[in-house]
Amino acid sequence: MSNKEIEFIGKITAGVTHEINNVLASIKEISGLLEDLISMSSNESFPYKEKFMNAIPKIQEQVKRGVNLTTQLNKFSHLTDKPKADIELNEFLTHLVFLTERFARIKNIELLLIPSDERIQISTLPISLQMVVYNCVASLLYGSSAGGKIIIQSAINNENYLISIKYDGEVPDNKKLLDDMSVAEELKILEKTISELDGNIQMDTTSNSIILSFNNN
Amino acid sequence: MEKIKILLVDDEKEFVETLSERIRMRDHDSDVALNGEDALKRIDDDLPDVVVLDLKMPGIDGMEVLKRIRSAYPDVQVIMLTGHGSDKDEKEARKLGAFEYLQKPVEIDTLMKKIKKAYKQKFEDSMMAATFAEAGEFDTAKDILESEEENNSEDDTEKDKDK
Repeated sequence: MSNKEIEFIGKITAGVTHEINNVLASIKEISGLLEDLISMSSNESFPYKEKFMNAIPKIQEQVKRGVNLTTQLNKFSHLTDKPKADIELNEFLTHLVFLTERFARIKNIELLLIPSDERIQISTLPISLQMVVYNCVASLLYGSSAGGKIIIQSAINNENYLISIKYDGEVPDNKKLLDDMSVAEELKILEKTISELDGNIQMDTTSNSIILSFNNN
Repeated sequence: MEKIKILLVDDEKEFVETLSERIRMRDHDSDVALNGEDALKRIDDDLPDVVVLDLKMPGIDGMEVLKRIRSAYPDVQVIMLTGHGSDKDEKEARKLGAFEYLQKPVEIDTLMKKIKKAYKQKFEDSMMAATFAEAGEFDTAKDILESEEENNSEDDTEKDKDK
């Protein structure tokens, strides 16, 4: 996909998330107005007061959830603004974990981020990096078992920054988790993208871990 | 408690009218403008204490409205209320004199607190302007703001030199 096409998708997504946010803001205000009005009425004049007062916070909680999702999706869409950008790696991974969490939750896997203590400023192709890390997480999720966890860690080492993604949990039928991936056609595409990011990938099928290392110069 | 005169500017009719009603229920005056042009006309007709202003609107956008308000009516405090505004937008709005920059949707209690704070600031600015005007050093609140801006930019220059 060309940069122009990616940029186009990003622009449309940003616009739509902005509109959805406006819808959610209206729902929040309208439910807030109902809350104001109902709280002013007496129990006698409004027999279902308690039920309404219990339901309104639930609407507002869902609005909050929706706003959080649209905010993250809007942020994601802005990754396409420029092909290359300066980012902070831990914030970037936090954002990625948020967006990927749902896929892990469906498989009953915990997605855990252990960020480095220090901030890691990098200059990269954000969409490509997002795609690489996502694919690594997805490949571990593919063969994982319910109850396990995937741990993402960041670190900086001289001129390189590292992202490690490790599966911690049972593997069905004693199958080696990364075996499928290591022969997969997708790996070739992934390696090409990693190479464009001036990095490399190491996979350890024994410990079910992937280490991505990128030059930060 | 003094009634604060608030103008809400947003092109989302349902949102802004409901918010306005909730503010009126809290014993403040609230009016609505659905675009930048209408907002400037309303401010011209009846000066509010605080404007709550959306950033992205059809026609004159929020940043331009902010600029015009702060230039023509420096006593009026402006709170920006926008969905998904960037850090760059926030920086620019604050530079143009926005009192506060909030993300939409906002809790009504949070918004009311900020509005009261902005109103207090407006009052303090007016008092300071009156004191200086009395001393003959400044003529209007606008002069004070301009003078403050000059001082700030001098400070910035000093800081830059120190770097």
